[in-house]
Amino acid sequence: MRFQDAAPDARAIVYAGIQADPLVAHVAELLADATLDQRILARAVMNGMSTDPLVWRAMFPRLFGSDTPDGAAGPARERSEAILADSLAVAERGELVRQQVRGAIVEELTERIVRRRAGAGSAEPGVRRERRILFDGVRAEIHPYDVTVETPGASEAIDCKWGARGINADVLHQLDDARSHAAEEEERLIATLVVFDAQRSCDARLAGQTAPHEATRLIALETLDDLAR
Amino acid sequence: METEPIVSVADAITAASAAYDELVERAEDVEDEWSFVSDLADAWRARLADVADARGDEPAGSGVADAVAALSAEARAIDDPHRAIDWLSTFPQVLLIAVGERP
Repeated sequence: MRFQDAAPDARAIVYAGIQADPLVAHVAELLADATLDQRILARAVMNGMSTDPLVWRAMFPRLFGSDTPDGAAGPARERSEAILADSLAVAERGELVRQQVRGAIVEELTERIVRRRAGAGSAEPGVRRERRILFDGVRAEIHPYDVTVETPGASEAIDCKWGARGINADVLHQLDDARSHAAEEEERLIATLVVFDAQRSCDARLAGQTAPHEATRLIALETLDDLAR
Repeated sequence: METEPIVSVADAITAASAAYDELVERAEDVEDEWSFVSDLADAWRARLADVADARGDEPAGSGVADAVAALSAEARAIDDPHRAIDWLSTFPQVLLIAVGERP
């Protein structure tokens, strides 16, 4: 089993520009230390219709109400306001760009939380983006993995999705195939699917899928911080 | 249309259910996803029903009536059926947070 950079095709070059957008990094930084409620706020706003912050403040009284734990000026409120402002900036993009930016944010967020495994403040050198995994005698998959952990004995292939609807047979097969091919080479590879959506929605999606997924680790909105372990 | 005031958690869930039902109808326009739309809506309606059973008599809390109004208006503004599918998941999560529940 070996890891390889994905070929820089036209899609990858365009998408690299999206990934490099400073807004992507800023939103991911905010969400990495956000509460579940704040992450759901971001999800709602980035896929919403309204661009008026008053609407969203009304919709989330436990984040923006007068009786929130730290009032109108504490750090939690400040983070909620920052998440709201940046999420609105994403929502104000055109529909296609908005979808691409959202996807890039989930990937960037995933990478940031995974890097915490190495300990506070240090960068896990084996964490990479847009990598393919090659196995002897097996044709390489076309699509690279969004995030990989390339640590001997603890390697991991991670695909990221914005919503439960993004879970499909192709991604489930690719992840399970990678895990099983690694096992054939007596290597351990954890296959992980990160979905920026509720566990309940993911379960509803998975219930209708026949592709193998029992050995794939699902990380939903409620369990994102488990990526650090 | 006259609406009932939202006093309790059950009132909030009941008031939001009409907008959620409309969202389901919009999402069903994506024929390839009809089964998922149905499963998703069933899963979240069951969760909301559980909360109404367990905490329905409790006071709704500060800001919940405005939250339900804003959430329902946002859902009704969604005209794209694909976005409606995504909101079938988002809508109940926002509602549950408003009434102090984890999704």
